[in-house]
Amino acid sequence: MSRIRQQWKLLVLLATAAVATVAVSASIAATPPGVKLAIMSDCKGAFAFGYELDIGGAQAALAKYAGGKAKNPNKPSAGMTGITIGGTKVDIVGYGCGDDTAPTALKEVRRLMEQLDADVMVGPLSGDEAVVVANYAKDHPDKTFIIGTAGSQDPTMQIAPPNLFRYHGDGAQWNAGIGEIAYRKLGWRKAAIIMDDYSFGWTSAGGIIADFCAVGGQITKRVFPPLNTTDYAPYVRQLPAPGGVDGYFWVVGGTGTGASLTAFEQAYGPLDPKQHIGNLFFAFLGADKVVAPKVVGSYVGGAGTGPGLQTAQAKAYEAALNAVYPKLPANDLFVYNYYNAAWALVQGLTASKGEIGAALQKGMPKTLKTGYSVSNGGMIKLDSRRQAMTDQYQLQLVKNADGSVGPVVVAYVPGVDQSFGGLFKPSSPPPGRTQPACKKVKTPWQGKIREVKNGKITNAVIK
Amino acid sequence: MSAGPKALTERGFGALVLAFAIAAPWLVSSYWLDAILIQTLIFGIAAASLIFLSAYGGMISLAQTALVGIAAYLLGNMVTARVPGGETKGLTLGWDPTVGLVLAVVVTTVIGLLFGALAARSLGIYFLMLTLTCGVIANLFFGSVTQFGGFSPIAGVNRYTPGFIGDMVNDRTRLYFIALIVAVAVYLLIRFVLRTPFGLVLQGIRDEPVRMSSLGYNVALHRTLAFGLAAFIAAVAGILLVWWQGQVAPGDLGLPATIQLLVMAVIGGLRRVEGAWLGAFMVIVIDNQVTNNIPSSGLPVIGGSFNTIVGAIFLAIVVVSPDGLLGIWERVWATVRGNRGGKVAMARGSSL
Repeated sequence: MSRIRQQWKLLVLLATAAVATVAVSASIAATPPGVKLAIMSDCKGAFAFGYELDIGGAQAALAKYAGGKAKNPNKPSAGMTGITIGGTKVDIVGYGCGDDTAPTALKEVRRLMEQLDADVMVGPLSGDEAVVVANYAKDHPDKTFIIGTAGSQDPTMQIAPPNLFRYHGDGAQWNAGIGEIAYRKLGWRKAAIIMDDYSFGWTSAGGIIADFCAVGGQITKRVFPPLNTTDYAPYVRQLPAPGGVDGYFWVVGGTGTGASLTAFEQAYGPLDPKQHIGNLFFAFLGADKVVAPKVVGSYVGGAGTGPGLQTAQAKAYEAALNAVYPKLPANDLFVYNYYNAAWALVQGLTASKGEIGAALQKGMPKTLKTGYSVSNGGMIKLDSRRQAMTDQYQLQLVKNADGSVGPVVVAYVPGVDQSFGGLFKPSSPPPGRTQPACKKVKTPWQGKIREVKNGKITNAVIK
Repeated sequence: MSAGPKALTERGFGALVLAFAIAAPWLVSSYWLDAILIQTLIFGIAAASLIFLSAYGGMISLAQTALVGIAAYLLGNMVTARVPGGETKGLTLGWDPTVGLVLAVVVTTVIGLLFGALAARSLGIYFLMLTLTCGVIANLFFGSVTQFGGFSPIAGVNRYTPGFIGDMVNDRTRLYFIALIVAVAVYLLIRFVLRTPFGLVLQGIRDEPVRMSSLGYNVALHRTLAFGLAAFIAAVAGILLVWWQGQVAPGDLGLPATIQLLVMAVIGGLRRVEGAWLGAFMVIVIDNQVTNNIPSSGLPVIGGSFNTIVGAIFLAIVVVSPDGLLGIWERVWATVRGNRGGKVAMARGSSL
């Protein structure tokens, strides 16, 4: 009797297992074919505020060009449905939650690409994260990666895997022209530079140094405060006193921008806007409240966007963005760069007819019509390492009618390439404390930087 | 001496876990194998070094994460090479991977002995602070001295492995089994050491340092040597970590990583070395699930931080069982056996 009962139990168990197997197989078979997309950003750490901006930028392009419908126009991370490219459904399988550190970036990329099995990733947000993604891409050639916003040079210069694309400039490119402005408009000949001691700080400073030295300027002192420094007094004291140089370049980010300027004021007295030029940290990423009011009138290195630029292409982009997410700032670098990355993906998938892997990588566009591009028929161009050659805009901080302080475009720098006319090479060390050396060279845009007035690019060249 | 029912039950359970671990590559998805199980084994080894010092030496060290990171950084600096498309950060010495592997473990163990010599004469909160200081110094050193890597990661380290180790980039099952073998070896090593005269003296020092000193034992030397052994174990974890991640960055030996390792040990149970892998598994799975599910669940995230939710779960576990998850097992066993001296039984178990 007990033996029969045991056999029955075994039968029931086997039947249950069979039903479960069929159910699981059916559910797998029922999964619609399509492209699985992941968007990687930061939801923790210093750049956590960029989470909605990044996702919103990418999804706005998917709404404009691929029929996506935002679930919540005020909260991009609520998701998007109905994305179809050339008949192929695209599912956003997950949003990456980085914290601006390499270990978390790696963990999140693995989660997105392996656990959630994404085919394509748009992101990440920051420089060191992009180094992680580039190395990961190297080991996963069947997956495709389009950098969201990241300023480090290595991903597309030294590492440069064939499945990694960047449709915006790196931190050095963003500063092309700012050194020449210091030399020609402010008359600087000798300058000091203070830079965050990590890859983005070096790359951003590298662009300033290369540009300033290219026209004949000299960098007499380089100072490197570690990232997340709270007391900048020892570092500011390493800078020459105001009489010793014509001006100072600032490449200090996060809470360090305001803290380092305050330390300078305490050491050397009030800030003269004509003696200080900052990189994008003077104007973007929350600088408007504390930093910008201290240095109204200063020139600022750009970030590839053109705040207030009055071109039809810029207006069309801004309208398209705000039609999907009305509250997102269209000229924010996070929004703009993620938008372009996603748009490039739409074009790539259209060309590959929805195929992923090598077909998609082959189909990714070599040129891209972007909102703030003017030269090359309003298109950015990818170089052989899949890095954008793109126009740059240099800025100045001005007081607005409502009393707030913000950046306006004052200079247009056409077609900036990543190599700075051959100064940076894959075989040369990436920007660092002593790289690049200060050299007088001919950059492609030297003597071609045009003034921008009231948002319009003039024919007047900066002399 | 025959084992009691509790020991037999534990051995049976241990055998089951080991059997599952051996069969895991055929039972779980490649993601789970790679991201959850390999990570559990590696952080379990690192947590075992912490629990060894805590459970059997009476020393809660906050330097173990730093030692893991030091080994990873040493290996990264020694084996990576500056070639086209290669690594650009660190010293990029391009040495033979076997030489790098041995040197990284040996040098980290020596550094661990130095840390131990510094901290061995202190107790309690002072020991905690001294080891934390060592950890912070290591973090700042590698984060600030750009010649050794700086803030950016040294990547691509797993492309430089000794021939007998094989391909750590593509063959993740191989990496899993290497990590499993090392984890079992570390577990057996700790069990073995505890039965040696050195291990018995160490446990004596844990319980009665003054009495052991008056009996003629060199307390500081024993503690330093225990720290050296724990550093060796942490170094092995560091090597595995950098093979698994492929990279090492200051964040791997920063304060959040230090706290995370301590949380793993506390969740698993600081009194028994088995708790290391249990705690690591729990922390890694909770972290993974929270990150996967909270953003899409629509739940408001307290203070805008996922760590708040993860922290709340840990707090709940610790409140329910101050001795970690293994403490729950001890209590359940004591209840089943009608034994109200659970803590006594546990203390006895901890000396094995």
